[in-house]
Amino acid sequence: MSSLYPFLYSETTDLDGVLAEVRQSTVDKVHEIVALRRTVAERDSQRMLDCATAMAECFEAGGKLFAFGNGGSSTDAADLANLFLNPGGDDRALPAVTLTGDIAVLTALSNDISFDVVYARQIAAFGRRRDVAVGLSTSGNSENLVRAFDEASRRGLLTVGIAGYDGGKMAELDSVDHLFVVPSASVHRIQEAQTTVYHALWELTLNHIRALGATEHIRDNRATHDRSWSEQ
Amino acid sequence: MQDHPTTVVDLFERREAPLHRLADDAGAIADTCHAMALRFHRGGTLRVFGNGAASTDAQHVSVEFVHPVIVGKRALPAVSLTADVATMTGIAYTTGLDEVFAHQLRQLGAAPDIALGISVDGRCGNVLRGLTVARELGMLTVALVGGDGGSIAATSAADHVLVAQSDDPRVVKEVHVTTYHILWELVHVIFEQPGVLTPEVVA
Repeated sequence: MSSLYPFLYSETTDLDGVLAEVRQSTVDKVHEIVALRRTVAERDSQRMLDCATAMAECFEAGGKLFAFGNGGSSTDAADLANLFLNPGGDDRALPAVTLTGDIAVLTALSNDISFDVVYARQIAAFGRRRDVAVGLSTSGNSENLVRAFDEASRRGLLTVGIAGYDGGKMAELDSVDHLFVVPSASVHRIQEAQTTVYHALWELTLNHIRALGATEHIRDNRATHDRSWSEQ
Repeated sequence: MQDHPTTVVDLFERREAPLHRLADDAGAIADTCHAMALRFHRGGTLRVFGNGAASTDAQHVSVEFVHPVIVGKRALPAVSLTADVATMTGIAYTTGLDEVFAHQLRQLGAAPDIALGISVDGRCGNVLRGLTVARELGMLTVALVGGDGGSIAATSAADHVLVAQSDDPRVVKEVHVTTYHILWELVHVIFEQPGVLTPEVVA
């Protein structure tokens, strides 16, 4: 190391000491996230099963899933939609879309109206009864999520919220049917546990659909669902 | 957790062993952070890439560095190579999917940069190509892979290879999220130690 970076040793700073601190920090963070996931499992196991059952019923009825969130949570929304739509292996593909992916739509709505409506307007355009709306926020306070949940609820969608800290505004809404709050003060640990929550919801939803043996049934219902939409 | 449904308990327990193995890699993570901090110090940009779920990780990493969640941390230059759909589909159509990252790195990258490739199974041809080209250009190369590490780990395609040791792609992703959160935070810890990175000047 000293031959690669001789200048590091030209100062009084103790590089080995800093690297030792950094190594210990990694071990500490691993312990934090392991403990946090255990807390989430303790608190929400049955609620995750109930939510996955409701989601499976929506898919069975021909519904689609919409996912949304801001910043890091927008990448979770994209990952979540991608996981349902294209899970790979032998797992069943299900219709899911992220509302964060179309830059033309996002910038048009932000420029012409407000960033607060970017998800609500898309829910209004695409959403219908028996669809599923999943919103992710670490703070639980994002105004555009609050509006999206209200719009989704009004239209009869199943609404699922994944939040952090104490749940923020999302914990006060009547429009969120299933709310999962990851209780931590660290945005990073919250995001890590939230990823597990939606991975778990996906796995449990597929388990439930498999148990129903509903593959063909879903396809038939989706055709009916789409037809009834176009006739409205 | 005996009172809770077995399926959910099993699902959560599946996450724990791979994380403990990540803690065993604390030395390799510290070395990676140190090398990354030196590149940022030289004015390098972090360039991140991956496919599918890992493409969303690439974007998560870029927002993490550019817009830190912890108030007071400086913004560091980081770009995802997966966000521009015109570029992605354009290169994939004209040259092939294997070149989508390598082409962008060749045209947009420079020697002090850091190339971070993410591949859940370690077998993504375009991630391997990206790392290979980045290394030829003199960039620092870092790979986050999973499973047995695949061809990326087997060929030592990157200067620093961190393996999330699980066969479940979802668990691999979760370990990767924790890994890049740690990389971000500890790059800053090293950055903030006076003297560690001197005498060079931050661009």
